[in-house]
Amino acid sequence: MSVRVIVRTFSELCITFGALIVLFVTYVLYWTGVKADAAMDGQLDQLEDRWANGAMTSAELEAAGGSSDVTEDGNPPPPEPYEDGKPFAVMYIPRLGDNWTKPVLENTKTGTLKKGLGHYASTAQLGQKGNFAVAGHRRTYGDPFKDFPKLRKGDAVVLNDGRTWFTYRIENKKPYKTLPSDIAVIDPVPRKSGFTDSGRYLTLTTCEPEWGHSHRLIVWAYLDSTQPVDDGKPEALRR
Amino acid sequence: MYGWIWRHLPGNAWLKALLSLVLALGVVYLLFQYVFPWAEPLLPFNDVTVDEGLGAVSGTV
Repeated sequence: MSVRVIVRTFSELCITFGALIVLFVTYVLYWTGVKADAAMDGQLDQLEDRWANGAMTSAELEAAGGSSDVTEDGNPPPPEPYEDGKPFAVMYIPRLGDNWTKPVLENTKTGTLKKGLGHYASTAQLGQKGNFAVAGHRRTYGDPFKDFPKLRKGDAVVLNDGRTWFTYRIENKKPYKTLPSDIAVIDPVPRKSGFTDSGRYLTLTTCEPEWGHSHRLIVWAYLDSTQPVDDGKPEALRR
Repeated sequence: MYGWIWRHLPGNAWLKALLSLVLALGVVYLLFQYVFPWAEPLLPFNDVTVDEGLGAVSGTV
């Protein structure tokens, strides 16, 4: 084999490898977002369909002998168990954008987080006593938590499960940075959160730094108010 | 490598160019559909959960 052929083949391999890397970067930065946006829209549609057809309204539920929107102690009724890998609620965080609307799915597996935010299956249900913990991508797959560091004390995190609006208020002055092994941040009374008594809390987790995985960013919130969906949007979303 | 492919494609230069384009698009499709989705989770951007350790209810990613 002549030197010419060897040099030419080596050059071609280098060009091919470079093109491969450019394509892969395009995939990670752009294509995952396109796919995730489509997947999230699909999940939101799925939820709306279910709420429009299958799910019982509060009135029907009451007629069926179930609990009404608010139980005697003034709290929302416990929801049915969430279906693994399926969407069950929609999250709104006005601070992250007026159009920031994401589906929340049950479990935090890789495949689930490609389609929306993931609820830690071992944590409390929406609006219940304990800690409702949710994870989401900071970067790639639609960048749902790209602006996570902008969250501040008092910001609203609003969720709708088809029956009730839940308005949580963030407690941290700014997001708390911790190590991935620090699982106490999603405890029923999260450590370091400033909460001391048991209550109805919410935890959001994402990765830190933006493109890395050495740490996690955490915000905690407490349940501020609830209202039936029939009463319209909660105040935090009115503008 | 690319010269070898070019020589083995049938037809005149126009057809060869067309076939090359189709081949290239096919490779890009395979990469985007199968290879990259496999390779992407090996990057750190998926690590957004706090580690729940072994036997946890939900897996970490």
